[in-house]
Amino acid sequence: MLKKMACLFLFMSFISCEKEGEFTKTPPQLVIDTNDGFVTLYYGVFYPTSGITVSGSASIYEKDSQKYVSLNDFSISSGPDLKVYLSTTDSPDTFVNLGNLTSATVYTIPQQVDVSVYKYVLIHCQQYNHLFAIAELN
Amino acid sequence: MKYVIYFFFINSLCLITLNAQGCSDAGVCSISNSFSNTIESSKNQIEVGSVFGIGEAAIFYISPYVIYTHHFSETLSISTKVTYSQASGDFGTRGQFGDVYLLGNYNFKKKKETQWNALLGFKFPFTTANAKINEISLPLDYQASLGTFDAIIGVGLTYKKWLFHTALQLPVFNNNKNSYFDEYSASNDFQSTNLFERKPDFLLRTTYTIVANEKLTFKPNLLFLYHLGNDSYETIFGTREVIKGSEGVTLNANLITSYAFTTNKSIELSLATPFVVRDVRPDGLTRSFTAGINYIYGF
Repeated sequence: MLKKMACLFLFMSFISCEKEGEFTKTPPQLVIDTNDGFVTLYYGVFYPTSGITVSGSASIYEKDSQKYVSLNDFSISSGPDLKVYLSTTDSPDTFVNLGNLTSATVYTIPQQVDVSVYKYVLIHCQQYNHLFAIAELN
Repeated sequence: MKYVIYFFFINSLCLITLNAQGCSDAGVCSISNSFSNTIESSKNQIEVGSVFGIGEAAIFYISPYVIYTHHFSETLSISTKVTYSQASGDFGTRGQFGDVYLLGNYNFKKKKETQWNALLGFKFPFTTANAKINEISLPLDYQASLGTFDAIIGVGLTYKKWLFHTALQLPVFNNNKNSYFDEYSASNDFQSTNLFERKPDFLLRTTYTIVANEKLTFKPNLLFLYHLGNDSYETIFGTREVIKGSEGVTLNANLITSYAFTTNKSIELSLATPFVVRDVRPDGLTRSFTAGINYIYGF
């Protein structure tokens, strides 16, 4: 009987799974092309915090009144729950969370956000509240 | 007559299912079993079961669990419960271990027709409630745990064929790191729950035991839950926002049918559905209907 119980418990552990659905399919990547009406508003190069490796830059583009953050030639040390923030300072105190840092390079900025207030793009680990990288926008 | 009542109870459950909206439970729904020693002659007891349920946005759940109970004496026992949950819906399928419970039960000396008992326990989460699929954050409805470390205290009273249980589930440490934002989601069915903070739950369950024969027992029961406050989350601007309507009452009807094969082996079937639900149910514990089956072995 105990063996049967153990088998069932093992079965439970093996049915751990992850399968994509309609809302979690990788969406088509938005491509920023300045010849296609995208206007560059701000630009900044990433620099890391202690112990982190980062390269690349961040830009804010606008097209048809919609603004976007684009990460260019970007790579960073891996982290458990990295987010892209627009921030008023170089630390995550007053910010807009643009969502998970993913393989996507373009992040849509919500319409109500006044980008002129936010002078920095941050890469921040939300789970452990640890700042990974900073790009000051000019 | 008892079977006629049972028949109508089953039928009413089926009818209610059509319109039911939710059954909230952060664990307290199922702890009432820990008040009673199902197989009284055994020093050790193992229970293996699974609950099948339908949640918000037609999410289908399979939630198996294992409980081990050791009786140190006639008065004192300790149980350990491990849960797993797999949710399938428009976001896909995600399965993980959920929580582990450690529950101690003390039975006071039985008087003529009454017996009191007390329960003290803790819930430890296996996850931070931030499972993702394809790097996309999932609502709490798809998470196997809420990511909270909870204390559970309860009191039970058995009077003749009636059982009354009360319990309080109190989050003492919040490790919820969920990062789901409705703003960035393809779905409109779920509330934002980024860095979700949950309030306590209070439970009151009333059970009536109908012994059909020495093998077959029916336990119809009503489960009253009160969520003691509105939950909250952190917005995209980093400010904490209260989720209005997440406080309130949930009232569930539940029928447990138990069949004893021998003195130390039994099987139980449990059907449950809610009558009253909270206006907003961000915790993802909502079920419009659940059916559970479990096997209990004493040794």
